[in-house]
Amino acid sequence: MAVLLKLGVLCSGQGARALSLRSRAVRPAFVSAFLQDQPTPGWRGTQHIHLSPSHQSGSKAASLHWTSERVVSVLLLGLIPAGYLNPCSVVDYSLAAALTLHSHWGIGQVVTDYVHGDALQKATKAGLLAVSALTFAGLCYFNYHDVGICRAVAMLWKL
Amino acid sequence: MAALLLRHIGRHCLRAHLSSQLCIRNAAPLGTTAKEEMARFWNKNTSSNRPVSPHLTIYRWSLPMAMSVCHRGSGIAMSGGVSLFGLSALLLPGNFESYLMLVKSLCLGPALIHAAKFVLVFPLMYHSLNGVRHLMWDLGKGLSISQVQLSGVTVLVLAVLSSAGLAAI
Ligand code: HEM
Ligand code: HEM
Repeated sequence: MAVLLKLGVLCSGQGARALSLRSRAVRPAFVSAFLQDQPTPGWRGTQHIHLSPSHQSGSKAASLHWTSERVVSVLLLGLIPAGYLNPCSVVDYSLAAALTLHSHWGIGQVVTDYVHGDALQKATKAGLLAVSALTFAGLCYFNYHDVGICRAVAMLWKL
Repeated sequence: MAALLLRHIGRHCLRAHLSSQLCIRNAAPLGTTAKEEMARFWNKNTSSNRPVSPHLTIYRWSLPMAMSVCHRGSGIAMSGGVSLFGLSALLLPGNFESYLMLVKSLCLGPALIHAAKFVLVFPLMYHSLNGVRHLMWDLGKGLSISQVQLSGVTVLVLAVLSSAGLAAI
């Protein structure tokens, strides 16, 4: 329990900081691997190029997606202690949304890494979208017609 | 871990091999977006037709590496579990309580119940705590090798302790 509480505290601080991620020059590792904005001794070719997202029109979408992934992770992190401390339908539906979105993006990353070939990857992503949509529908159905996620966990733990 | 590796490899290999080309390409910085850079990277990568990296069997295992694999593994497993739960809510007859009653009627011993609870919470605790570690890295904190090692051990210890605590409830 103490751990859960601590996570909650951590999370509220983290939320604010994660939201300010974009203003600090933090980018997906992938981009930073070959776009550098740090001075490099012995090689001055790119030194004057400032690559933080705010200076790059056109690359906003990728960076915004990356930031959104972190924001959803932080939200999910906060929702877990929230579900324990204040089990209610707001938390139930927020959990349904955050769980599905975080999983959808997470598995999407895995598909990007391991499924090769344009057509196959497109098909897999379409399948993933279908599964995620059904999962979200299922969780909402459970929240509406059954006991809801928070109470379900509580009941399970009473066993 | 992956980000570190990639950054490391990117900084060293790409610079060594492509520095002259990159120099010329990046000479007109306002004309290139990160998107175009990515497209160029992927075009080059696909056209060179190399085998898929990494070649898993040639690396010596380390704690951060194993933890990275487990983060992905636990994420995939929990996503599978959540989807299974959601789909069952849609498809299976009977409500949640009826299934709980079914489990109750099996009269599993307390040891088995607590063990099952541990198996359920451990991936969540591990992935959540390690997720915080990832988020710290994303803020640019704790990226030195010794810090990565220390935070890794911390996450493991906290994950085991918190899971044991929650399973005992
Ligand atoms: C509640 C706290 C959680 C936090 C803080 C968290 C955080 C994260 C973070 C930061 C990543 C990105 C890792 C990277 O940069 O490579 C990630 C990946 C992922 N998460 Fe979570 N997560 C949490 C819970 C969950 C849950 C409950 C699930 C499943 C239902 C889940 C499924 C996944 C999946 C599938 C991935 C992708 C794995 C990968 O790309 O390696 N996460 N998580
Ligand atoms: C035996 C060695 C390796 C293992 C076990 C391994 C394992 C993993 C795992 C489990 C992930 C997903 C989880 C995460 O992001 O933390 C990952 C991501 C990744 N790995 Fe590796 N990896 C290895 C070596 C490498 C090498 C040598 C490279 C580059 C040449 C590489 C590049 C990447 C990239 C680009 C990602 C995605 C990064 C991200 O989404 O955060 N990996 N690796």
